[in-house]
Amino acid sequence: MPAIIDVSAADRPVIVITRDFDAPRELVWKAITDPRQVAVWYGGPGFTNPVCEMDLRPGGAWHHVMQAPNGTRYTINSVFEEIVEPERLVWRTIGDPDRNPAPPTSHNTVTLEVRGQQTRWKLVTLFDSIADRDLSAKMGFGQMISMGTDRMAAHLATLQGVQDHG
Amino acid sequence: MVQDRLSSLFSALADPTRRGVLARLTTGDATVNELAEPYDMSVAAVSKHLKVLEAAGLISQGRQSQWRPRHLEARPLQEVFEWLENYRRFWDNSLDSLAEHLRVLQMQGAGKTGQRSKRARPASSPKKRK
Repeated sequence: MPAIIDVSAADRPVIVITRDFDAPRELVWKAITDPRQVAVWYGGPGFTNPVCEMDLRPGGAWHHVMQAPNGTRYTINSVFEEIVEPERLVWRTIGDPDRNPAPPTSHNTVTLEVRGQQTRWKLVTLFDSIADRDLSAKMGFGQMISMGTDRMAAHLATLQGVQDHG
Repeated sequence: MVQDRLSSLFSALADPTRRGVLARLTTGDATVNELAEPYDMSVAAVSKHLKVLEAAGLISQGRQSQWRPRHLEARPLQEVFEWLENYRRFWDNSLDSLAEHLRVLQMQGAGKTGQRSKRARPASSPKKRK
C-alpha cells in the first residue's frame, strides 16, 4: 500500500499511509484507542511509551511520551477532534516548545475499513506550518547535489510510493 | 521564511512535472526552454511550475546570462526527504508492532472463546515434566 502525497490538495500537503491487518475492525479500533494497548505498539520495536493518556472524546487530550531505544524521550501532545467508533479517529498534534527543531504539527485522520477478513488502517496526515524549524545545520548540503538522476528519481519516488510490508 | 516551509515544499513536490524538473536539474543547470522540452506544455506553463519551485526555495535563477538558467537548491529537498523518511519509518515500525500486537490478541482471544479452555494452544498437550 503506497504512502502518497496527495496532489489534489494543492495548498495543503497530505501524506497517506495505509496498512491491512488480519484482524477484525473492532479489535483494531480497541488497539488504537485503548491507551494501554497503544503504549504497546506505538513507535515500534525498541521504543517504549512511559506515558500514554487518552481522553477519548472530542476536545479530549492525548498526552504521550515515547522513549527511543537510546533513552531519548519525545513528548507528543494531541487533541482528539472526532471519535466515530469503530471507524474513524481524528486528532491534532499540538506543538512542543521543548523540542528543537519542533516537529511540524499535523491533523491526523485514521479510518478503519472492513475488507473481508482484514481491516484496512488508513492514516491521512495534513501538515501545518512549522515554526522555528531549522534543520539545515544538521544536514549535509552536498549530498543531494552529488546524487545522480536515478538516485534523485528514486528519492522523489519515495514521495509517492512507500512499500507496505503487509 | 521558515514558517510554512515544509508545507510549501510538500506542495511544490506534489506535482509530477515539478518533480521531473527537479530530477532534470540534478544533471546540471538548465534554461526554461530546456526544461520545457520533455513536456507537452507551453513554456509559460512550465514557467509557472518554476515559480512554485522557486518560491519553495527548491531552485534558483542564475543572473549571469540572459537565459538565466535554473539551478537546483539541494538543501530544502534534503530536509524534506529526511523528514519524510523518518515519518514513514516511524509509522512502518509502529504498524509492524501493531500487527504483532493484534496477532497476539487474537491468539489469546481464540483460546478464550473456546469455552474458557486453556490460555495458549500448546498447553493442550497433557502434562509436561516440570
